Amino acid sequence: MRKDLVFGMAGSGGDGIVSAGDSLLQAASAEGYHGVMTKSFGSQIRGGESSCRVRISTDPVLNPGGNLDVAVALNWEDFLKFGAELPVAGTTVVIYEAATGVPENQIPLVGVTPLQVIAVPIAAMAKETAGTERAKNTVVLGLIAGWFGIGGEAVMKGISKKLAKKSQELVEANQKAFDAGVAFAKSHPLKADMTVVPSSSKGAVKLLTDGNDMCAAAALFAGCQFFGGYPITPSTEIMQFFTNHVWKYGGAVLQAEDEIAGIGSAVGASFAGKKAMTATSGPGLSLKSEMMGLASIAELPLVIVDVQRGGPSTGLPTKTEQSDLFAAAFSAHGDVIRPVLAPTSVADMFRTTVEAFNIAEYYQTPVIILSDQEIASRKETLDPIDTSQFKIINRLVPTGADLQDYKRFKQTENHISPISHPGMLGGTYLASGIEHVESGAPTNSGSVHQRMNDKRIKKLDPLKERKDLFEITGNPDAPLALVAWGSVAGVCREALQMAQAEGLDVKLMVPYLLYPVAEQTYRDFFASVQKGLVVEQSHLAQTFKVLRMHLDLPKGLQSLARSGANPFLPGEIVAALHHLLSELQRSHEGKLQPQE
Amino acid sequence: MSATCEFQAKDYKSDLKPIWCPGCGDYSVVQGIYRALAAIGRPPHEVAFISGIGCSSRIPGYTTAYGFNTVHGRALPIAQGIKLANPDLLVLAAGGDGDGFSIGGGHIAHLIRRNIDITYIVMDNQIYGLTKGQLSPTSQKGRTTCTSPYGSLENPVNPLLYVLAYGAGFVAQASPTDLAGMAATLEEAIRYPGFAFVNVQSPCVTYGEEAQQIKGLKAISENLAAIGHNPADRLAAMDLAQHYGEKLHLGVFYKNPEPPPTYDALIRERQAQLSQGALPKERILDLFIKK
Repeated sequence: MRKDLVFGMAGSGGDGIVSAGDSLLQAASAEGYHGVMTKSFGSQIRGGESSCRVRISTDPVLNPGGNLDVAVALNWEDFLKFGAELPVAGTTVVIYEAATGVPENQIPLVGVTPLQVIAVPIAAMAKETAGTERAKNTVVLGLIAGWFGIGGEAVMKGISKKLAKKSQELVEANQKAFDAGVAFAKSHPLKADMTVVPSSSKGAVKLLTDGNDMCAAAALFAGCQFFGGYPITPSTEIMQFFTNHVWKYGGAVLQAEDEIAGIGSAVGASFAGKKAMTATSGPGLSLKSEMMGLASIAELPLVIVDVQRGGPSTGLPTKTEQSDLFAAAFSAHGDVIRPVLAPTSVADMFRTTVEAFNIAEYYQTPVIILSDQEIASRKETLDPIDTSQFKIINRLVPTGADLQDYKRFKQTENHISPISHPGMLGGTYLASGIEHVESGAPTNSGSVHQRMNDKRIKKLDPLKERKDLFEITGNPDAPLALVAWGSVAGVCREALQMAQAEGLDVKLMVPYLLYPVAEQTYRDFFASVQKGLVVEQSHLAQTFKVLRMHLDLPKGLQSLARSGANPFLPGEIVAALHHLLSELQRSHEGKLQPQE
Repeated sequence: MSATCEFQAKDYKSDLKPIWCPGCGDYSVVQGIYRALAAIGRPPHEVAFISGIGCSSRIPGYTTAYGFNTVHGRALPIAQGIKLANPDLLVLAAGGDGDGFSIGGGHIAHLIRRNIDITYIVMDNQIYGLTKGQLSPTSQKGRTTCTSPYGSLENPVNPLLYVLAYGAGFVAQASPTDLAGMAATLEEAIRYPGFAFVNVQSPCVTYGEEAQQIKGLKAISENLAAIGHNPADRLAAMDLAQHYGEKLHLGVFYKNPEPPPTYDALIRERQAQLSQGALPKERILDLFIKK
């Protein structure tokens, strides 16, 4: 029996493979399992290839998993398009459509001999039982229930609920298709027992959602009352969630005419005194950069979500990457620091988004949430979140005394000035993108510019002291280390557990605050480190370079970086750690040898 | 809407000294705005005045209000966010012809079709003044400037036809040749419930052509009311607007006699309808519970 199973399924757009994944995850969730589901598509709207990966476990799931335990190919052409996203290994059971005509000993996977290969007449079974090949995905769900013991009743309960609105006949047809799948599995037992251990938490309340919806819900919780944006993959669902819900809380949403107007309207709403947000992906972030500079100099709170996808330009619109760190930290001209936060999972998207609003409002600055396509669109089962544990910070407004002689950009001890908004008597001022004196009046003075830059940059210094924006696990004195953020952090968390189980002395740092770089926190972390890896999905190794720009890194710290849509597997990171350890041991031995 | 009180034009004048050249048409525009605001009587702190970049975009700084001198071409996107975030405010947007019809030209159509209650004042001088005399989107074809030394090869934008064609509910033109008329037109524009556009022919005394100075403008000006134009007649307005550049028609070209509901008013209605039965914010994650 197994505690953890990773399914990877691929087919053509119309095969309903993603909806099968959804049903499987929902059923597993109902049965008390933890689960994560990621989806990956070609960029076609209809047809084309689509796939999903569903990981189900009795323990909390840290990432979508490494090699597949179960691979389902409705046709080989589509399956192979996903390459490293659906890795098959010697431990994988491969199930595929018999109608492909491919013999079981000739499947087109080079250099790998799967644990077991089974051709199933999926389409024929669907046609025979339900009268239509469209029930192929239901047959697949039956096979999974039969072979792996997941979702027997719960799957059909979910499907019935979905289809009951259409017709009872459809429900019955799907039930037959499902039963046929189960029956096939029972009559063709697997060589190894791969059924999942029953969950002990059956019946517990669980949340099931993805990163984009979680981000929007957290923004509403934080008090966001305005969203301005423009549709762009893979961030659009954030705007859609707002459109469904923000009105109920007295707020508004604007699908603007372009990316610039999207952020522009949010800057305006913030100037008007409301918490405001925009969301986009790489191309939109490039377009928004002038407005981000405006929000910085006008000291207006604003949250900008960048759901990263492969770049540059249109790049890989539907695939994940971590290559927007430079753009998030540095785009917009002039001397400016803009905080950048990154969630690592759907669960901590809530906390990260609330934190982004708190930082934006407290420091009166734009803040970027650097999400990525994987977190944005992956579905996770979550334990309920106790929202009362989260503090909400609002911007500092002027007191009656402040308004006697109000100066919007008044120099203060912590460089934060009370901010008025239209409608507030006595608080009128000129906000501007032009450099200004304390009152807001424009200036060309070099000395004022120096002082005002000082104010805007130094006000963010306390952020760098925030230890709670970093997660450090493993032995604090370990000589080996990993650094990873965003969706890659979850892979490294699992790699850490695996490496520790194999006796390696290693630790992991996951920064939620990417910029400004908290120099001291990194120095403390790196103090014991002799060898380590900064793991990231960026060909240029942007994280490694940003760290090197701010810090003297340990000599043995290396970059493990590659382009997006090439997922890291926990196992390969553990292997890399073993390699580092052997290098370390060799260099120690070298030191003990007498010099030649 | 708060109660109106007694205000005078000087109550809207700020302490900042304009950087404009002596004789610049924009001095008259800011005077016209003071007078219009005083006539309407909204207190300065309930007025948000947004501009882009350019000589004329300095105007919020010279007005006592919540001003925002933003980035080039983006007064309207920011102004719409302000109005949607707080529909109670009186929102003005202003800028030059380059700001509005070149770099920011893509926004006007959308503000018009949304019908957000904002008054947009373009100070049109057919030249880029702040960058010292380059061709603008409203410069006449053939005009020589420092970026068109052999004469412009481009046709100008007709701002009046542009906004009329997109369906703006209020379209007018004014000029410093008639300050009282300008104040009255601006007041009528601000009072119009919906997106209102006023093109002000505002001469550039430094880079403008002779014909576009006050004397030249007076020679071609014609009052729309005096010639019996009916501002409810949109097609007649479009007919007259075709003479932009040859004649200077002053007053209201078009005013929708039956103004449709504004976007900001519709938002209020939607908020009121949907606020009932909403989950408290603290329980918003209940939306994700799967049974």
